[in-house]
Amino acid sequence: MTAGYISLNVRNHQYAGRVAVILAEAVAENPVRCCQSTVVDYRFNTFIRVGAIGDELSRLSGVAVHGYGAYIPMFRIKASEIARIWGVPDSELPVLEKSVNSLDEDTVTIAAEAASYAIARAGIDPDRIGAVYVGSESHPYAVKPTGTIVADVLGVNSKLLSADLEFACKAGTEAVELVSGLVASGMIEYGLAIGADTAQGRPRDALEYTAAAGGVALLIGRSGEGAIADLEYAASYVTDTPDFWRRNHERYPMHGSRFTGAPAYFHHIISAAKMVLDDGYSFDEFDYVVFHQPNTKFPYAAAKMLGIPAKKVEPGVVCNVIGNTYAASSMMGLAKVLDQSKPGERILMVSYGSGAGSDAFVFRVREGIQEKRGRAPLVSELIERRRYIDYALYLKARGKIRE
Amino acid sequence: MHAVFRPPVNWRHRRFRYRLVVWRCQNCGAVHHYATSICRRCRSNRVAEDKLPDRARLITYTVVKNPPVAFEKQAPYIVGLVEFEDGTRLVAGITDCDLEELKPGIELERVVRKIAEDGESGLIVYGYKFRPAITRGRYTPGG
Repeated sequence: MTAGYISLNVRNHQYAGRVAVILAEAVAENPVRCCQSTVVDYRFNTFIRVGAIGDELSRLSGVAVHGYGAYIPMFRIKASEIARIWGVPDSELPVLEKSVNSLDEDTVTIAAEAASYAIARAGIDPDRIGAVYVGSESHPYAVKPTGTIVADVLGVNSKLLSADLEFACKAGTEAVELVSGLVASGMIEYGLAIGADTAQGRPRDALEYTAAAGGVALLIGRSGEGAIADLEYAASYVTDTPDFWRRNHERYPMHGSRFTGAPAYFHHIISAAKMVLDDGYSFDEFDYVVFHQPNTKFPYAAAKMLGIPAKKVEPGVVCNVIGNTYAASSMMGLAKVLDQSKPGERILMVSYGSGAGSDAFVFRVREGIQEKRGRAPLVSELIERRRYIDYALYLKARGKIRE
Repeated sequence: MHAVFRPPVNWRHRRFRYRLVVWRCQNCGAVHHYATSICRRCRSNRVAEDKLPDRARLITYTVVKNPPVAFEKQAPYIVGLVEFEDGTRLVAGITDCDLEELKPGIELERVVRKIAEDGESGLIVYGYKFRPAITRGRYTPGG
Protein backbone atom coordinates (compact mmCIF):
# COMPACT_ATOMS: atom_id res chain seq x y z
CA MET A 1 0.00 0.00 0.00
CA THR A 2 1.39 3.40 -0.97
CA ALA A 3 -0.28 6.06 1.11
CA GLY A 4 -0.23 9.59 -0.31
CA TYR A 5 -1.17 10.99 3.03
CA ILE A 6 -2.35 9.53 6.27
CA SER A 7 -5.46 10.66 8.06
CA LEU A 8 -5.33 9.52 11.64
CA ASN A 9 -8.53 8.91 13.51
CA VAL A 10 -7.83 7.49 16.94
CA ARG A 11 -10.52 6.54 19.38
CA ASN A 12 -9.97 4.95 22.75
CA HIS A 13 -12.09 2.08 24.03
CA GLN A 14 -11.63 0.74 27.53
CA TYR A 15 -12.54 -2.90 27.96
CA ALA A 16 -12.73 -3.47 31.72
CA GLY A 17 -9.61 -1.34 32.05
CA ARG A 18 -7.62 -4.23 30.60
CA VAL A 19 -7.65 -3.85 26.87
CA ALA A 20 -7.14 -0.64 24.97
CA VAL A 21 -7.91 -0.58 21.29
CA ILE A 22 -6.37 1.97 18.96
CA LEU A 23 -7.85 2.21 15.51
CA ALA A 24 -5.80 4.06 12.92
CA GLU A 25 -7.11 4.77 9.44
CA ALA A 26 -4.70 5.39 6.59
CA VAL A 27 -6.12 6.75 3.38
CA ALA A 28 -4.24 5.93 0.17
CA GLU A 29 -3.60 8.30 -2.73
CA ASN A 30 -6.12 6.71 -5.07
CA PRO A 31 -9.51 7.85 -3.76
CA VAL A 32 -11.39 5.14 -5.70
CA ARG A 33 -9.33 2.19 -4.52
CA CYS A 34 -9.15 3.72 -1.10
CA CYS A 35 -7.04 1.52 1.17
CA GLN A 36 -7.26 1.26 4.92
CA SER A 37 -4.92 -0.16 7.46
CA THR A 38 -6.23 -1.08 10.85
CA VAL A 39 -3.66 -1.30 13.60
CA VAL A 40 -5.04 -3.05 16.62
CA ASP A 41 -2.76 -2.80 19.60
CA TYR A 42 -3.76 -4.91 22.57
CA ARG A 43 -1.91 -5.35 25.78
CA PHE A 44 -1.04 -8.94 25.00
CA ASN A 45 -1.15 -9.18 21.22
CA THR A 46 -0.37 -6.83 18.40
CA PHE A 47 -1.50 -7.53 14.88
CA ILE A 48 -1.95 -5.47 11.78
CA ARG A 49 -4.47 -6.04 9.00
CA VAL A 50 -4.35 -4.18 5.72
CA GLY A 51 -7.04 -4.31 3.09
CA ALA A 52 -9.21 -2.31 0.74
CA ILE A 53 -12.66 -1.03 1.69
CA GLY A 54 -15.19 -3.67 0.71
CA ASP A 55 -12.67 -6.42 1.37
CA GLU A 56 -12.74 -8.33 4.61
CA LEU A 57 -11.19 -5.59 6.67
CA SER A 58 -12.10 -6.08 10.30
CA ARG A 59 -12.01 -3.20 12.68
CA LEU A 60 -12.22 -5.81 15.37
CA SER A 61 -9.81 -8.40 14.14
CA GLY A 62 -10.11 -12.12 14.55
CA VAL A 63 -13.15 -12.36 16.84
CA ALA A 64 -16.16 -14.50 15.96
CA VAL A 65 -19.40 -15.91 17.31
CA HIS A 66 -19.09 -19.71 17.56
CA GLY A 67 -22.40 -20.39 19.22
CA TYR A 68 -25.59 -18.54 20.04
CA GLY A 69 -28.59 -19.57 22.06
CA ALA A 70 -31.91 -17.99 22.97
CA TYR A 71 -34.43 -18.94 25.60
CA ILE A 72 -37.95 -17.60 26.08
CA PRO A 73 -40.16 -18.77 28.99
CA MET A 74 -43.35 -20.53 28.03
CA PHE A 75 -45.99 -18.24 29.53
CA ARG A 76 -47.51 -15.34 27.58
CA ILE A 77 -49.92 -12.64 28.61
CA LYS A 78 -51.75 -10.68 25.97
CA ALA A 79 -51.43 -6.89 26.18
CA SER A 80 -55.21 -6.75 25.81
CA GLU A 81 -55.55 -8.82 29.02
CA ILE A 82 -53.46 -6.25 30.93
CA ALA A 83 -55.45 -3.45 29.29
CA ARG A 84 -58.68 -5.13 30.40
CA ILE A 85 -57.64 -4.71 34.04
CA TRP A 86 -56.88 -1.01 33.69
CA GLY A 87 -59.57 0.01 31.19
CA VAL A 88 -57.15 1.00 28.45
CA PRO A 89 -58.37 0.77 24.82
CA ASP A 90 -56.71 -2.02 22.78
CA SER A 91 -55.73 0.43 20.05
CA GLU A 92 -53.11 2.08 22.27
CA LEU A 93 -51.07 -1.02 23.12
CA PRO A 94 -47.33 -1.14 22.30
CA VAL A 95 -47.09 -4.92 21.68
CA LEU A 96 -49.46 -7.86 21.10
CA GLU A 97 -48.25 -10.04 23.96
CA LYS A 98 -45.23 -10.60 26.17
CA SER A 99 -43.39 -13.55 27.67
CA VAL A 100 -43.65 -14.16 31.42
CA ASN A 101 -41.26 -16.28 33.46
CA SER A 102 -42.82 -18.98 35.61
CA LEU A 103 -42.33 -19.05 39.40
CA ASP A 104 -39.29 -21.32 39.09
CA GLU A 105 -37.50 -19.19 36.51
CA ASP A 106 -35.27 -16.19 37.03
CA THR A 107 -32.28 -14.56 35.37
CA VAL A 108 -29.98 -17.40 36.47
CA THR A 109 -32.08 -20.20 34.99
CA ILE A 110 -32.87 -18.25 31.81
CA ALA A 111 -29.19 -17.33 31.29
CA ALA A 112 -28.11 -20.93 31.93
CA GLU A 113 -30.56 -22.39 29.42
CA ALA A 114 -29.68 -19.85 26.70
CA ALA A 115 -25.96 -20.49 27.34
CA SER A 116 -26.41 -24.26 27.18
CA TYR A 117 -27.90 -23.81 23.70
CA ALA A 118 -24.95 -21.60 22.69
CA ILE A 119 -22.49 -24.27 23.87
CA ALA A 120 -24.49 -26.97 22.05
CA ARG A 121 -24.32 -24.98 18.82
CA ALA A 122 -20.59 -24.35 19.19
CA GLY A 123 -20.01 -28.00 20.06
CA ILE A 124 -17.09 -27.22 22.36
CA ASP A 125 -16.06 -28.55 25.76
CA PRO A 126 -17.35 -26.07 28.40
CA ASP A 127 -13.93 -26.24 30.07
CA ARG A 128 -12.48 -24.13 27.24
CA ILE A 129 -14.65 -21.19 28.29
CA GLY A 130 -12.60 -18.59 30.12
CA ALA A 131 -15.23 -15.96 30.92
CA VAL A 132 -18.92 -15.88 31.80
CA TYR A 133 -20.46 -12.42 31.91
CA VAL A 134 -24.16 -11.97 32.55
CA GLY A 135 -25.80 -8.63 31.84
CA SER A 136 -29.19 -8.03 33.44
CA GLU A 137 -31.26 -5.55 35.37
CA SER A 138 -32.92 -8.36 37.34
CA HIS A 139 -30.04 -10.27 38.92
CA PRO A 140 -31.65 -12.47 41.61
CA TYR A 141 -29.16 -11.34 44.25
CA ALA A 142 -28.15 -7.74 44.93
CA VAL A 143 -24.81 -9.12 46.13
CA LYS A 144 -23.71 -12.54 44.84
CA PRO A 145 -22.85 -13.00 41.19
CA THR A 146 -25.28 -14.56 38.73
CA GLY A 147 -22.31 -15.58 36.55
CA THR A 148 -20.80 -18.03 39.04
CA ILE A 149 -24.09 -19.93 39.39
CA VAL A 150 -24.55 -20.03 35.62
CA ALA A 151 -20.96 -21.25 35.11
CA ASP A 152 -21.38 -24.05 37.66
CA VAL A 153 -24.69 -25.10 36.11
CA LEU A 154 -22.97 -25.29 32.72
CA GLY A 155 -20.06 -27.26 34.11
CA VAL A 156 -17.47 -24.64 33.19
CA ASN A 157 -14.01 -25.03 34.74
CA SER A 158 -13.41 -22.78 37.77
CA LYS A 159 -10.42 -21.07 36.11
CA LEU A 160 -12.75 -18.37 34.95
CA LEU A 161 -13.42 -14.67 34.73
CA SER A 162 -16.94 -13.83 35.80
CA ALA A 163 -18.89 -10.74 36.74
CA ASP A 164 -22.40 -9.40 36.55
CA LEU A 165 -23.00 -6.39 34.37
CA GLU A 166 -25.68 -3.79 34.69
CA PHE A 167 -26.60 -1.19 32.09
CA ALA A 168 -30.39 -1.43 31.75
CA CYS A 169 -31.19 -2.97 28.36
CA LYS A 170 -27.63 -2.91 27.02
CA ALA A 171 -26.04 -4.96 29.81
CA GLY A 172 -26.01 -7.99 27.49
CA THR A 173 -24.22 -6.28 24.62
CA GLU A 174 -21.80 -4.75 27.12
CA ALA A 175 -20.88 -8.37 27.91
CA VAL A 176 -20.33 -8.96 24.17
CA GLU A 177 -17.90 -6.02 24.05
CA LEU A 178 -15.99 -7.27 27.12
CA VAL A 179 -15.71 -10.87 25.96
CA SER A 180 -14.65 -9.75 22.45
CA GLY A 181 -11.83 -7.71 23.96
CA LEU A 182 -10.68 -10.61 26.13
CA VAL A 183 -10.73 -13.02 23.18
CA ALA A 184 -8.92 -10.57 20.89
CA SER A 185 -6.23 -9.97 23.51
CA GLY A 186 -5.61 -13.68 23.86
CA MET A 187 -6.48 -13.72 27.55
CA ILE A 188 -9.22 -16.31 26.98
CA GLU A 189 -9.97 -18.87 24.25
CA TYR A 190 -13.76 -18.70 24.48
CA GLY A 191 -16.11 -16.53 26.49
CA LEU A 192 -19.84 -16.42 27.13
CA ALA A 193 -21.64 -13.09 26.85
CA ILE A 194 -25.18 -13.41 28.17
CA GLY A 195 -28.07 -10.96 28.34
CA ALA A 196 -31.01 -12.21 30.41
CA ASP A 197 -33.86 -10.57 32.25
CA THR A 198 -37.13 -11.02 34.06
CA ALA A 199 -38.03 -7.37 33.71
CA GLN A 200 -40.18 -5.55 36.25
CA GLY A 201 -43.15 -3.42 35.28
CA ARG A 202 -45.19 -1.59 37.90
CA PRO A 203 -48.90 -2.53 37.73
CA ARG A 204 -50.75 0.02 35.53
CA ASP A 205 -47.47 1.56 34.30
CA ALA A 206 -46.83 1.74 30.53
CA LEU A 207 -43.95 -0.74 31.01
CA GLU A 208 -46.31 -3.40 32.33
CA TYR A 209 -47.36 -4.18 28.74
CA THR A 210 -43.80 -4.79 27.53
CA ALA A 211 -41.51 -5.80 30.47
CA ALA A 212 -40.83 -9.43 29.52
CA ALA A 213 -38.55 -12.36 30.29
CA GLY A 214 -35.93 -14.02 28.10
CA GLY A 215 -32.24 -14.52 27.54
CA VAL A 216 -29.67 -14.80 24.78
CA ALA A 217 -26.08 -16.04 25.00
CA LEU A 218 -23.24 -15.61 22.51
CA LEU A 219 -20.23 -17.89 22.70
CA ILE A 220 -17.33 -15.86 21.36
CA GLY A 221 -13.90 -17.09 20.29
CA ARG A 222 -11.20 -16.54 17.66
CA SER A 223 -12.45 -16.47 14.08
CA GLY A 224 -11.66 -19.45 11.95
CA GLU A 225 -13.01 -22.89 11.14
CA GLY A 226 -16.64 -23.41 12.10
CA ALA A 227 -17.40 -19.81 13.10
CA ILE A 228 -21.05 -18.75 12.85
CA ALA A 229 -20.32 -15.06 12.31
CA ASP A 230 -17.24 -12.87 12.43
CA LEU A 231 -17.59 -9.87 14.71
CA GLU A 232 -16.16 -7.20 12.44
CA TYR A 233 -16.84 -4.06 14.37
CA ALA A 234 -17.81 -2.94 17.86
CA ALA A 235 -18.29 0.58 19.16
CA SER A 236 -20.16 2.26 21.96
CA TYR A 237 -21.78 5.63 22.60
CA VAL A 238 -22.84 6.69 26.10
CA THR A 239 -24.07 9.84 27.84
CA ASP A 240 -25.60 10.67 31.20
CA THR A 241 -29.29 10.64 30.25
CA PRO A 242 -31.80 10.04 33.08
CA ASP A 243 -34.62 8.39 31.10
CA PHE A 244 -35.17 5.28 33.26
CA TRP A 245 -33.83 4.15 36.63
CA ARG A 246 -34.43 2.00 39.66
CA ARG A 247 -33.11 2.98 43.08
CA ASN A 248 -31.78 0.53 45.66
CA HIS A 249 -34.42 -1.64 47.41
CA GLU A 250 -37.14 -0.50 44.96
CA ARG A 251 -39.19 -3.22 43.27
CA TYR A 252 -40.07 -1.27 40.14
CA PRO A 253 -38.21 1.19 37.94
CA MET A 254 -39.22 4.79 37.23
CA HIS A 255 -39.03 6.40 33.81
CA GLY A 256 -39.36 9.73 32.07
CA SER A 257 -42.34 8.75 29.85
CA ARG A 258 -41.94 10.58 26.54
CA PHE A 259 -38.42 11.59 27.52
CA THR A 260 -37.39 7.95 26.85
CA GLY A 261 -37.86 8.61 23.11
CA ALA A 262 -36.04 11.43 21.30
CA PRO A 263 -33.18 12.37 23.69
CA ALA A 264 -32.75 8.81 24.95
CA TYR A 265 -33.49 5.89 22.60
CA PHE A 266 -33.28 7.70 19.27
CA HIS A 267 -30.30 9.93 20.08
CA HIS A 268 -28.13 7.02 21.23
CA ILE A 269 -29.21 4.46 18.61
CA ILE A 270 -28.64 6.96 15.82
CA SER A 271 -25.34 8.25 17.22
CA ALA A 272 -23.97 4.69 17.56
CA ALA A 273 -25.22 3.75 14.07
CA LYS A 274 -23.51 6.83 12.64
CA MET A 275 -20.21 5.78 14.25
CA VAL A 276 -20.43 2.68 12.05
CA LEU A 277 -20.82 4.95 9.01
CA ASP A 278 -17.94 7.18 10.13
CA ASP A 279 -15.71 4.13 10.21
CA GLY A 280 -16.31 3.35 6.56
CA TYR A 281 -19.44 1.20 6.34
CA SER A 282 -22.54 2.16 4.39
CA PHE A 283 -26.03 0.99 5.34
CA ASP A 284 -26.31 -0.66 1.89
CA GLU A 285 -23.75 -3.23 3.05
CA PHE A 286 -26.09 -4.60 5.72
CA ASP A 287 -28.59 -7.30 4.85
CA TYR A 288 -30.24 -7.10 8.28
CA VAL A 289 -30.47 -4.31 10.83
CA VAL A 290 -31.38 -5.09 14.45
CA PHE A 291 -32.16 -2.35 16.95
CA HIS A 292 -33.12 -2.60 20.59
CA GLN A 293 -36.87 -3.15 20.78
CA PRO A 294 -38.65 -1.51 23.73
CA ASN A 295 -41.85 -1.59 21.67
CA THR A 296 -42.75 -2.44 18.08
CA LYS A 297 -42.74 1.16 16.86
CA PHE A 298 -39.28 2.39 17.93
CA PRO A 299 -36.97 0.14 15.82
CA TYR A 300 -38.89 0.99 12.63
CA ALA A 301 -38.88 4.70 13.51
CA ALA A 302 -35.10 4.67 14.11
CA ALA A 303 -34.57 2.90 10.77
CA LYS A 304 -36.68 5.51 9.00
CA MET A 305 -34.63 8.34 10.53
CA LEU A 306 -31.44 6.67 9.27
CA GLY A 307 -32.88 5.95 5.82
CA ILE A 308 -32.78 2.17 6.31
CA PRO A 309 -35.60 0.27 4.58
CA ALA A 310 -38.10 -1.41 6.95
CA LYS A 311 -37.60 -4.76 5.21
CA LYS A 312 -34.07 -4.97 6.69
CA VAL A 313 -35.46 -4.41 10.20
CA GLU A 314 -38.49 -6.70 10.01
CA PRO A 315 -36.62 -10.10 10.15
CA GLY A 316 -35.18 -9.23 13.58
CA VAL A 317 -38.33 -7.90 15.24
CA VAL A 318 -39.49 -10.11 18.11
CA CYS A 319 -40.91 -7.51 20.48
CA ASN A 320 -44.46 -7.65 19.10
CA VAL A 321 -44.91 -11.28 20.23
CA ILE A 322 -42.63 -11.60 23.30
CA GLY A 323 -42.33 -8.00 24.54
CA ASN A 324 -39.13 -6.27 25.61
CA THR A 325 -36.70 -8.81 27.05
CA TYR A 326 -34.48 -5.94 28.27
CA ALA A 327 -30.81 -7.06 28.36
CA ALA A 328 -31.69 -9.77 25.82
CA SER A 329 -33.79 -7.56 23.54
CA SER A 330 -31.42 -6.64 20.69
CA MET A 331 -29.56 -9.95 21.08
CA MET A 332 -32.89 -11.80 20.66
CA GLY A 333 -33.33 -9.93 17.37
CA LEU A 334 -29.80 -10.98 16.39
CA ALA A 335 -30.55 -14.62 17.28
CA LYS A 336 -33.71 -14.53 15.16
CA VAL A 337 -31.73 -13.07 12.24
CA LEU A 338 -28.95 -15.68 12.61
CA ASP A 339 -31.71 -18.34 12.47
CA GLN A 340 -32.49 -17.25 8.91
CA SER A 341 -29.26 -15.73 7.55
CA LYS A 342 -26.91 -17.07 4.88
CA PRO A 343 -23.09 -17.08 4.83
CA GLY A 344 -21.64 -13.79 3.59
CA GLU A 345 -24.53 -11.63 4.83
CA ARG A 346 -23.83 -8.68 7.11
CA ILE A 347 -25.85 -7.78 10.21
CA LEU A 348 -25.83 -4.43 12.00
CA MET A 349 -26.96 -4.67 15.62
CA VAL A 350 -27.40 -1.58 17.80
CA SER A 351 -28.48 -2.04 21.39
CA TYR A 352 -29.81 0.62 23.71
CA GLY A 353 -29.61 0.81 27.47
CA SER A 354 -31.23 3.52 29.53
CA GLY A 355 -29.01 5.77 31.52
CA ALA A 356 -27.93 5.79 28.62
CA GLY A 357 -25.93 4.26 25.81
CA SER A 358 -25.85 2.20 22.64
CA ASP A 359 -23.45 -0.49 21.42
CA ALA A 360 -23.11 -0.99 17.67
CA PHE A 361 -21.84 -4.25 16.18
CA VAL A 362 -21.28 -5.51 12.66
CA PHE A 363 -21.46 -9.28 12.17
CA ARG A 364 -20.52 -11.11 8.97
CA VAL A 365 -22.25 -14.49 8.77
CA ARG A 366 -19.93 -17.47 8.08
CA GLU A 367 -20.34 -21.00 6.73
CA GLY A 368 -20.57 -22.46 10.24
CA ILE A 369 -24.14 -21.19 10.53
CA GLN A 370 -25.51 -23.88 8.23
CA GLU A 371 -24.25 -26.81 10.26
CA LYS A 372 -24.76 -25.29 13.72
CA ARG A 373 -28.15 -23.60 13.40
CA GLY A 374 -30.14 -26.83 13.88
CA ARG A 375 -28.35 -27.94 17.05
CA ALA A 376 -30.62 -25.93 19.38
CA PRO A 377 -34.15 -24.47 19.28
CA LEU A 378 -34.75 -21.58 16.89
CA VAL A 379 -36.24 -18.33 18.19
CA SER A 380 -39.37 -19.04 16.11
CA GLU A 381 -39.78 -22.43 17.84
CA LEU A 382 -39.45 -20.79 21.26
CA ILE A 383 -42.03 -18.18 20.26
CA GLU A 384 -44.41 -20.94 19.14
CA ARG A 385 -44.03 -22.80 22.45
CA ARG A 386 -46.45 -20.70 24.47
CA ARG A 387 -49.24 -20.92 26.97
CA TYR A 388 -51.50 -17.98 27.72
CA ILE A 389 -52.18 -16.93 31.30
CA ASP A 390 -54.65 -14.41 32.68
CA TYR A 391 -53.77 -11.40 34.81
CA ALA A 392 -54.29 -13.28 38.10
CA LEU A 393 -51.83 -16.05 37.18
CA TYR A 394 -49.48 -13.35 35.87
CA LEU A 395 -49.51 -11.69 39.31
CA LYS A 396 -48.72 -15.04 40.93
CA ALA A 397 -45.95 -15.97 38.45
CA ARG A 398 -44.27 -12.59 38.88
CA GLY A 399 -44.44 -12.71 42.68
CA LYS A 400 -46.68 -9.63 42.80
CA ILE A 401 -49.04 -11.17 45.35
CA ARG A 402 -47.73 -9.94 48.71
CA GLU A 403 -48.84 -11.12 52.12
CA MET B 1 -33.08 -16.18 62.60
CA HIS B 2 -32.92 -19.80 61.56
CA ALA B 3 -32.48 -20.16 57.83
CA VAL B 4 -34.33 -22.91 55.99
CA PHE B 5 -31.45 -23.47 53.55
CA ARG B 6 -28.02 -23.51 55.14
CA PRO B 7 -25.08 -22.58 52.90
CA PRO B 8 -22.84 -25.64 53.53
CA VAL B 9 -25.50 -28.22 52.60
CA ASN B 10 -26.60 -26.26 49.57
CA TRP B 11 -23.00 -25.84 48.45
CA ARG B 12 -22.08 -29.50 48.98
CA HIS B 13 -24.95 -30.72 46.82
CA ARG B 14 -24.57 -28.25 43.99
CA ARG B 15 -22.92 -30.55 41.42
CA PHE B 16 -25.72 -33.08 41.88
CA ARG B 17 -28.44 -30.45 41.80
CA TYR B 18 -27.04 -28.54 38.81
CA ARG B 19 -25.73 -31.39 36.66
CA LEU B 20 -26.86 -34.68 38.22
CA VAL B 21 -23.29 -35.65 39.06
CA VAL B 22 -23.49 -38.76 41.27
CA TRP B 23 -21.12 -41.14 43.00
CA ARG B 24 -21.86 -44.69 41.88
CA CYS B 25 -20.71 -47.85 43.61
CA GLN B 26 -18.78 -50.03 41.15
CA ASN B 27 -19.55 -53.07 43.25
CA CYS B 28 -23.33 -52.94 43.85
CA GLY B 29 -24.41 -50.03 41.63
CA ALA B 30 -25.85 -47.88 44.43
CA VAL B 31 -26.05 -44.18 43.57
CA HIS B 32 -25.06 -41.44 46.04
CA HIS B 33 -25.87 -37.81 45.42
CA TYR B 34 -22.90 -36.62 47.48
CA ALA B 35 -19.17 -37.32 47.30
CA THR B 36 -18.29 -40.44 49.26
CA SER B 37 -15.45 -42.94 49.25
CA ILE B 38 -17.43 -45.78 50.84
CA CYS B 39 -20.70 -47.15 49.43
CA ARG B 40 -23.44 -46.67 51.97
CA ARG B 41 -25.20 -49.88 50.87
CA CYS B 42 -22.42 -52.48 50.49
CA ARG B 43 -19.45 -50.74 52.17
CA SER B 44 -17.32 -51.20 49.05
CA ASN B 45 -14.61 -48.58 48.56
CA ARG B 46 -14.92 -48.78 44.78
CA VAL B 47 -17.04 -45.65 44.31
CA ALA B 48 -16.58 -43.53 41.18
CA GLU B 49 -17.99 -40.26 39.94
CA ASP B 50 -20.67 -40.61 37.28
CA LYS B 51 -23.33 -38.46 35.65
CA LEU B 52 -26.98 -39.34 35.22
CA PRO B 53 -28.39 -38.80 31.71
CA ASP B 54 -30.22 -35.61 30.73
CA ARG B 55 -33.29 -37.48 29.57
CA ALA B 56 -35.65 -39.72 31.51
CA ARG B 57 -39.11 -41.25 31.33
CA LEU B 58 -41.98 -40.41 33.64
CA ILE B 59 -43.08 -43.23 35.93
CA THR B 60 -45.73 -41.40 37.94
CA TYR B 61 -46.40 -38.05 39.60
CA THR B 62 -48.39 -36.27 42.29
CA VAL B 63 -49.63 -32.72 42.74
CA VAL B 64 -48.51 -31.03 45.96
CA LYS B 65 -51.21 -28.74 47.36
CA ASN B 66 -50.01 -28.62 50.97
CA PRO B 67 -46.40 -27.61 50.53
CA PRO B 68 -43.60 -27.57 53.11
CA VAL B 69 -41.93 -24.38 54.37
CA ALA B 70 -40.27 -22.30 51.60
CA PHE B 71 -42.40 -23.93 48.88
CA GLU B 72 -45.74 -22.33 49.84
CA LYS B 73 -45.94 -19.79 47.02
CA GLN B 74 -45.40 -22.44 44.36
CA ALA B 75 -48.41 -24.61 45.24
CA PRO B 76 -49.91 -26.39 43.46
CA TYR B 77 -46.81 -27.97 41.92
CA ILE B 78 -45.95 -31.34 40.41
CA VAL B 79 -43.46 -33.83 41.82
CA GLY B 80 -42.69 -36.86 39.69
CA LEU B 81 -40.81 -40.13 39.80
CA VAL B 82 -38.60 -40.43 36.73
CA GLU B 83 -36.50 -43.29 35.43
CA PHE B 84 -33.27 -43.09 33.43
CA GLU B 85 -32.17 -45.53 30.74
CA ASP B 86 -30.01 -47.47 33.19
CA GLY B 87 -32.94 -47.99 35.56
CA THR B 88 -31.91 -45.37 38.14
CA ARG B 89 -34.98 -43.64 39.55
CA LEU B 90 -35.17 -40.11 40.89
CA VAL B 91 -37.84 -37.94 42.49
CA ALA B 92 -37.88 -34.55 40.76
CA GLY B 93 -39.97 -31.47 40.24
CA ILE B 94 -41.87 -31.46 36.93
CA THR B 95 -42.28 -28.08 35.26
CA ASP B 96 -43.57 -26.33 32.13
CA CYS B 97 -46.50 -28.66 31.53
CA ASP B 98 -50.20 -29.27 32.06
CA LEU B 99 -51.40 -32.36 33.93
CA GLU B 100 -53.05 -33.64 30.74
CA GLU B 101 -49.61 -34.00 29.14
CA LEU B 102 -48.25 -36.19 31.91
CA LYS B 103 -48.84 -39.74 30.72
CA PRO B 104 -46.59 -42.44 32.22
CA GLY B 105 -43.71 -43.16 29.85
CA ILE B 106 -43.47 -39.72 28.22
CA GLU B 107 -39.96 -38.46 27.56
CA LEU B 108 -38.69 -35.74 29.87
CA GLU B 109 -35.58 -33.58 29.68
CA ARG B 110 -33.61 -32.01 32.49
CA VAL B 111 -33.59 -28.27 33.07
CA VAL B 112 -32.19 -26.20 35.92
CA ARG B 113 -34.77 -24.15 37.75
CA LYS B 114 -35.27 -22.26 40.96
CA ILE B 115 -36.26 -24.93 43.50
CA ALA B 116 -37.15 -22.62 46.38
CA GLU B 117 -36.10 -19.43 48.05
CA ASP B 118 -35.58 -18.80 51.72
CA GLY B 119 -37.84 -15.78 52.22
CA GLU B 120 -36.69 -12.48 50.76
CA SER B 121 -33.30 -12.42 52.48
CA GLY B 122 -32.09 -16.03 52.50
CA LEU B 123 -30.54 -18.24 49.86
CA ILE B 124 -32.09 -19.06 46.52
CA VAL B 125 -31.70 -22.76 45.75
CA TYR B 126 -31.35 -23.88 42.13
CA GLY B 127 -31.47 -27.43 40.85
CA TYR B 128 -32.73 -30.00 38.40
CA LYS B 129 -36.32 -30.31 37.31
CA PHE B 130 -37.77 -32.16 34.36
CA ARG B 131 -40.10 -30.98 31.64
CA PRO B 132 -41.69 -32.72 28.65
CA ALA B 133 -38.90 -32.88 26.02
CA ILE B 134 -39.10 -30.03 23.54
CA THR B 135 -35.70 -30.23 21.90
CA ARG B 136 -35.65 -33.57 20.08
CA GLY B 137 -32.38 -34.62 21.68
CA ARG B 138 -30.34 -31.95 19.99
CA TYR B 139 -28.63 -30.57 23.04
CA THR B 140 -28.15 -30.87 26.74
CA PRO B 141 -30.43 -28.41 28.49
CA GLY B 142 -29.05 -26.60 31.51
CA GLY B 143 -25.52 -27.91 30.89
